[in-house]
Amino acid sequence: MQGNIAILGYGLSAIGPGVGIGLIFAAYINGVARQPEARGMLQSIAILGFALAEALAIFGLVLAFVFK
Amino acid sequence: MSFSPLAAVKTESFEPPNPQEFYQRFFGHGDWSFTRPMVLFLVVGVVVCTFLVMTTRKAAIVPSKGQWLTEQVYAPIRNGIAQDIIGTKEFLKYVPLLFAVFCTLLLSNLMSVIPFFQFPPTGRVAFPIALTLFVYVIYQAIAFKRKGVVGYLKSLIPPGLPMWIRPMILVLEIITYFITRPVTLALRLFGNMFAGHMLLLLFITGGEFMLLHQDGFQYKIFGIGSFLMAVLMTLFEILIEFLQAYIFTLLAATYIADSIATEH
Amino acid sequence: MHSVAVAGLAASSDHDVAERAPILPQWSELIFGLVVFAGILFVIWKYVVPKLEQAYQERTAAIEGGMEQAAEVQKQAEEAKSQYEAQLADARAEAARIREEARTQGTQIVSEMRAQANAESERIIESAHKQTEAERQQAQVELRSHVGRLSTDLAGKIVGESLQDETRQRGIVERFLADLESGDVKPEKVGTTPSEGA
Repeated sequence: MQGNIAILGYGLSAIGPGVGIGLIFAAYINGVARQPEARGMLQSIAILGFALAEALAIFGLVLAFVFK
Repeated sequence: MSFSPLAAVKTESFEPPNPQEFYQRFFGHGDWSFTRPMVLFLVVGVVVCTFLVMTTRKAAIVPSKGQWLTEQVYAPIRNGIAQDIIGTKEFLKYVPLLFAVFCTLLLSNLMSVIPFFQFPPTGRVAFPIALTLFVYVIYQAIAFKRKGVVGYLKSLIPPGLPMWIRPMILVLEIITYFITRPVTLALRLFGNMFAGHMLLLLFITGGEFMLLHQDGFQYKIFGIGSFLMAVLMTLFEILIEFLQAYIFTLLAATYIADSIATEH
Repeated sequence: MHSVAVAGLAASSDHDVAERAPILPQWSELIFGLVVFAGILFVIWKYVVPKLEQAYQERTAAIEGGMEQAAEVQKQAEEAKSQYEAQLADARAEAARIREEARTQGTQIVSEMRAQANAESERIIESAHKQTEAERQQAQVELRSHVGRLSTDLAGKIVGESLQDETRQRGIVERFLADLESGDVKPEKVGTTPSEGA
């Protein structure tokens, strides 16, 4: 068995953002289903939220590579 | 493209693709070598410029086929991203940047699945960083020019917060605006392209290894399954490539809009 | 951690660069990327977007111009229509007027003709009356002479008295006829009735 424990750290750091992104897009889909005309506005907000949530996973990726 | 299958033949043991393979130099050494992603990025630049200039040189009211295609890409960037997010008043100034970013990224990402190129320059972190630097410098310059240093820092704090929490929020916001945003902007794109390409390499080299270098019926089945998975992942990759180019452009527009906006 | 340490420096060994963490850029690629993207940005900013914006503006202008033109044409059409309608109304009035005129003229003509016909018929009746009168008088005169002669002849034959003397004869006849006309003719009185003289 060989590898790097830092990769596990990345796996752990991806859990939170995974759940968060799921929640964000669930809310987005709900919103669009209720008010299809608000799609354009909701989309940019959802993508912004997605970017914020994903930042954590990206930091996990960074650290996975840093602690080699 | 990758040297690992050849290595696998020699050693008769499977070597999964690794990040080292993304460094493919043509000449020169170390940090100053001329590499394959640079050639691909140059191809992207030449193709993007040539195509866009060719199709818009005689821009007409009734578009030709090429102009129509360009406008199909241009209109969502101009109206869907720039106008909606930056606002109708001054979005036109930033349309060239956003359009250039989107076109460059789209073609760079698609290089991952275009035959004979089959490597995304955006899978090398230098290129996402280069594009992010442009966006970063531009949005910070706008913010400092418009608000001044103090005004910029003040605008980072949401109004109506109690006094004692403001320094903490300020630190967090500064980290967000000056570090998190550019880093995630660059690394999101890089991470997606890098991981996607790695995944394709893994399925293809793994399938090849199981089909050709392993005896036993079950390995043939798995090899075929691995190739089928590679096809599926290629289709998925195309989707991701479009999506990442779009998200990068959208976030760049959002950051620029944040710098223009007077309040938080 | 070794790779992090050399991150800021330019490694001259291929192995160092290959082994470096993938999230750290290779300098040549970074600079090359900046230069190429600057070129792309310049071309798009200088040549592509202005052309596209120009096409957009022209298209907007063309659409608005087309709409203006359409409005103009519609206005013209409406003007022409109202003009035609006015002309048509005029023509209708004219026709009505002519019809009215013709009607009055017709009635006038009819009444004139009627008056003429009446006059004619009256004239005819008049002339017929006159003719009748004339004929009657002629017949009377003739009859008078005939009757006179006959009666004198008869009387002469009866009384044997010649009454050829014209003056006497006429007086007798006249007297007789006057009696006849007054209704109290009495043949027996013929002889007895004294003559009035010549």
